[in-house]
Amino acid sequence: MSILNSYTRQMARQGIAILSVSILLALLVNHLRPDGLTLPGDWSDESRVALDSGETLVVSLGEAQELFEAKQAIFLDARPRSAYESGHIRGALSLPWETFDEHFESVMGALQEDMTLIAYCDGESCSLSHDLAKALVEMGFERSRVLINGWSAWRESGLPTSMGEVDGMMPAPGEHRGENRP
Amino acid sequence: MTRIIQKVLRIFLGLVFLYACWDKILHPDAFALVIYNYQILPAPLIHFTALVLPMLELMLAIGLLFGIWLPGVLLLSNLLLAVFFSALLFNAARGLDIHCGCFSAASDDGVPAATSQYILRDVAFLAVSLFLLLQHYREKRGAVA
Repeated sequence: MSILNSYTRQMARQGIAILSVSILLALLVNHLRPDGLTLPGDWSDESRVALDSGETLVVSLGEAQELFEAKQAIFLDARPRSAYESGHIRGALSLPWETFDEHFESVMGALQEDMTLIAYCDGESCSLSHDLAKALVEMGFERSRVLINGWSAWRESGLPTSMGEVDGMMPAPGEHRGENRP
Repeated sequence: MTRIIQKVLRIFLGLVFLYACWDKILHPDAFALVIYNYQILPAPLIHFTALVLPMLELMLAIGLLFGIWLPGVLLLSNLLLAVFFSALLFNAARGLDIHCGCFSAASDDGVPAATSQYILRDVAFLAVSLFLLLQHYREKRGAVA
């Protein structure tokens, strides 16, 4: 029993020592190398908008603008309905992430799966659009993209916007718009 | 005879860890993405883990290859392989098909093998590691008795 005890103690002591040396050495090497990682690390923007395969869904403002002008993409507003009504990218459809399951069919039912979709919300750290785009990819809309900080970026660039609740292509009347009327 | 098997397995496991840590130490950013894709660790711990894990594997490789501090080395190698096992199993259970990043930091180097293969391989390494720990303990006990 005492041998087991002393062996266990030895394991624990050495284990902690090896772990400590590994941590110190890892941090030291990382500090010295020019391409070292930042600590604790930022997983909030592009890197977070990646599929499990590592492929990023991010679309740049420039690309989004080109697609908008060529009418080759459908914009989806992932923010709550009230935010959409007080201003949104012109032609965008409202598909709030918080009611995704409820409204998916009425908003997306008419769209083809091979359409380019651009989800957006507001703020660098807003993840509604990320979640929406990932969910859409899972539903088969493989060309779903995310415009990070979309609403602010779009508005600040002076690109076309609209206000109010009805805009562009909308779901069949009487579906869910009436109940959200102010 | 057991002695020879023990030594061969110890060096084998050491080489496995050495091989496993190499690419991860060279490409910590790519390895961080692999860890992120596991979707287990909270974001603030991802980079830290991406740095420390390969270094720990290197330390274990050195310990195993040269037979230094075996009680501690074998304890950690068992724990580490058990952690890998749990992570793989956890993601297999929730149907997350990920690249395991076991021996490479790249998350996109070809078609990933089935998660079950990763799990079986990890179990094999874990068995080796556990065998080595028990044998080493037995030896110590024998030497004292």
